[in-house]
Amino acid sequence: MTAWLARLVAGRLIRLAWLLPLAAVGLFALISLAPIDPVQAYVGGRTSQIGPEQRDAIASAWGLDRPASERFASWLGDLAGGDLGQSITFNAPVLQVIAARLPASMALVGLAFALSFLLGTLLGLVAGATRGRWPDRVIRTLAVVLAASPGFWVAILLVAVFAVTLGWLPACCAAPPGQLASEVTPADRWRHMVLPVATLSVVGIAPLVLHTRQSLIAFLDSPAARHLSAHGATPLRLAFGPGLRHAAGVALTLHLAGAGELFGGSVLAEAVFAWPGLGQATVRAATGADAPLLMGIGLATLLFVFAGNLLADIAARLADPRLRRIA
Amino acid sequence: MFRPLATAALALSLLSPAHAEARSLVLAIGGEPEGGFDPIMGWGHYGNPLFQSTLLRYDAELDLVGDLATDWRLSQDGRVWRIRLREDAMFSDGTPLTAKDVVFTYTAASTAGGLADLTVLKEARALDDTTVELELTEPRITFVARLATLGIVPAHSYGADYARQPIGSGPFKLVEWREGEQLVVAPNPYWHGGEIAFDRVSFVFGSEEAGQALARTGAADLVAVPPSMADAAPPDMAVLKIDTVDNRGLAFPMGPARDETTETGAPIGNDVTADRAIRVAINQALDREALVALALNGHGRPAMGPADGLPWDNPEAAIPGNDPTAAMATLEDAGWTDSDGDGLREKDGLRAAFRVLYPAGDSTRQALALGASQQLRAIGIEAQPTGSSWDEIGALMHSQVVVLGWGAHDPSEIYALHHGDYAGVDYYNTGHYANPTVDAHLEGAEAAGSFDASLAHWQAAAWDGETGFGPKGDAAWAWLVNLEHAYWASDCLDLGSLQIHPHGHGFPITHDLPSWRWTCE
Repeated sequence: MTAWLARLVAGRLIRLAWLLPLAAVGLFALISLAPIDPVQAYVGGRTSQIGPEQRDAIASAWGLDRPASERFASWLGDLAGGDLGQSITFNAPVLQVIAARLPASMALVGLAFALSFLLGTLLGLVAGATRGRWPDRVIRTLAVVLAASPGFWVAILLVAVFAVTLGWLPACCAAPPGQLASEVTPADRWRHMVLPVATLSVVGIAPLVLHTRQSLIAFLDSPAARHLSAHGATPLRLAFGPGLRHAAGVALTLHLAGAGELFGGSVLAEAVFAWPGLGQATVRAATGADAPLLMGIGLATLLFVFAGNLLADIAARLADPRLRRIA
Repeated sequence: MFRPLATAALALSLLSPAHAEARSLVLAIGGEPEGGFDPIMGWGHYGNPLFQSTLLRYDAELDLVGDLATDWRLSQDGRVWRIRLREDAMFSDGTPLTAKDVVFTYTAASTAGGLADLTVLKEARALDDTTVELELTEPRITFVARLATLGIVPAHSYGADYARQPIGSGPFKLVEWREGEQLVVAPNPYWHGGEIAFDRVSFVFGSEEAGQALARTGAADLVAVPPSMADAAPPDMAVLKIDTVDNRGLAFPMGPARDETTETGAPIGNDVTADRAIRVAINQALDREALVALALNGHGRPAMGPADGLPWDNPEAAIPGNDPTAAMATLEDAGWTDSDGDGLREKDGLRAAFRVLYPAGDSTRQALALGASQQLRAIGIEAQPTGSSWDEIGALMHSQVVVLGWGAHDPSEIYALHHGDYAGVDYYNTGHYANPTVDAHLEGAEAAGSFDASLAHWQAAAWDGETGFGPKGDAAWAWLVNLEHAYWASDCLDLGSLQIHPHGHGFPITHDLPSWRWTCE
């Protein structure tokens, strides 16, 4: 039973071993080639107050006066010692910046992940079971429209309707303004999560719906399903019974493999809703050419996506024993 | 005879808003310092430093007044500031602030490699507990801007985590900072500056749209809004439009095209704009009111110089604009005529044409470039608006005209924009302008015995009756507009008198936050 699991994990760890250094070099090359002068970005609007001498002092204080290859080498050296370096934008260790902002992002991404999986699978199954009839058409139309809608646009639409016009939900932020963290009630926290989570889930839902629908239809057309059907099982019963197990493997694989996209979508959602997560920090780091922080976030995202893919493969094999033989 | 007066005084004191019940204030004006609240790394440059206090401060008229300093004197040779400190200043942890802390702060900031430029400081020393001497490497009067912006940190507890747990002698103490989200501060009970009318002030960060949404739901009392939104304030809020020196102008290449290039290989000089007549004619022709209407939707004012309305501004240096007739006369006199009838002037086979560069992502500068180009075509000058990346602008700004923006509460900007030593350095003197008389005035200003005495020198650099960098003299720039910064403020919030704001919208408005009052019940 566990032989396939050990083989799978070992294979993936080997892949990670060459993927990580490759990604690090690629990321660093991209950042150094970006046409942003980190010192100018750091100085920003204060150009007139910072003389050329002070610029040199800033560059040497942050090690920006050294050639890129040398900076990369010293970054690698620090990394070996578990130090991800110092973020110039936030004037703090990279690890601290990521640790401070990861929980907010994970709450958002995690909830959206679970919600979109439940909703996507459910809608896909219903659409598959009612193939060609009106529920199927409505769901398919919805999926295609959502697939074509940019995340930030959906976010602005939701804010306009539910926050500004109806006034049911807060338009931004993770907590009501003017309150300390200790004063914010759990109910308030949940209220503030609704719109960002909805935005993020809605964006990732379309492929899930369409794929689940398709794999359910494939099952319903199979001899096994025809047999059950001949014995009087209705399509809906088939869909949520044996069909669910057929479709779940595909849905899980797809959804976990798409975790990276969800992470990317959170950058936009965080910007619109002023959500204090990693996405916001990523934008600041990128506009400031903050190499250590961008590297840290990039590698953290890589690990996140990698773990998502690995979990997807394990889950798919658990759901569908036929896959275990191929490895 | 006594009684009516006493009664009136009592009535007044009861009515006075300072005695209104303390309440909390929510501001959505951006300006989160990602790096934290460490003055040594550059925090507190604009607006109120909140947690720290400074030696001097600017009042609403931008005159210098004492904060921690009770007396400040510059030595005869202009190199040593002797500063006497007040004795009642305390840090928010209850320890007294002494000369030792000032020396520590200035010494640390001069070597930290942060955003406080103290390269001119040679040594800071404490003479006794309340007297400090700051010795400079050379006379430089603009060092007062450092005296007015560098917050003093406690020598005994300053450490690596200071930026996120600041302790200072300023009006507020930090209650909570949820990064990227909200900063909450409360009055510092040890502050030496008087009463604060609010028991809690929260700064909400996030997007502009989020701030507007908070204002509409009544959750924020003061919000920074873009000019296009200024007039759409919610019912119980007033629109606050503040004049600024957040300016935009055209920087001219001053010399003819040269064979040499800058260190990075960028060409220098432009044969057309090297002719003073072209630069003067542009200054005469531009209709700046129309540019304000076009590029800023009317939310701004015409700019005549780099520091309109600031104490070191010289209005005499300007020449009237919106006068195409005079502009064309200037061009004719200098030999720029349209000999081939294509609507464009030439002189000795050289066409009156150049590019006007602007960063492609900046819609305001784009509108200014397009508007100016249209206006200049009417007098026979072809200014081709060209949207570029900052990288491309960096390569072309020494040989073409660029739309640049400045505007600081510090005349050292005037020096950097016009002194020959700054020719080709960063974005300062992009046109390689050099006039020995102007340089001498600028140096004279820096060497002045007091800030007040320096003002006349700064003004003379713009126009001294014979020459200067202003349009009457060399016309090194054609200034276009000063932006207006817009806010929505609760009808109940009294902000007192406001300064002319610098480049940068949002946080500068907090400059006098400790004296704001709530006027409603």
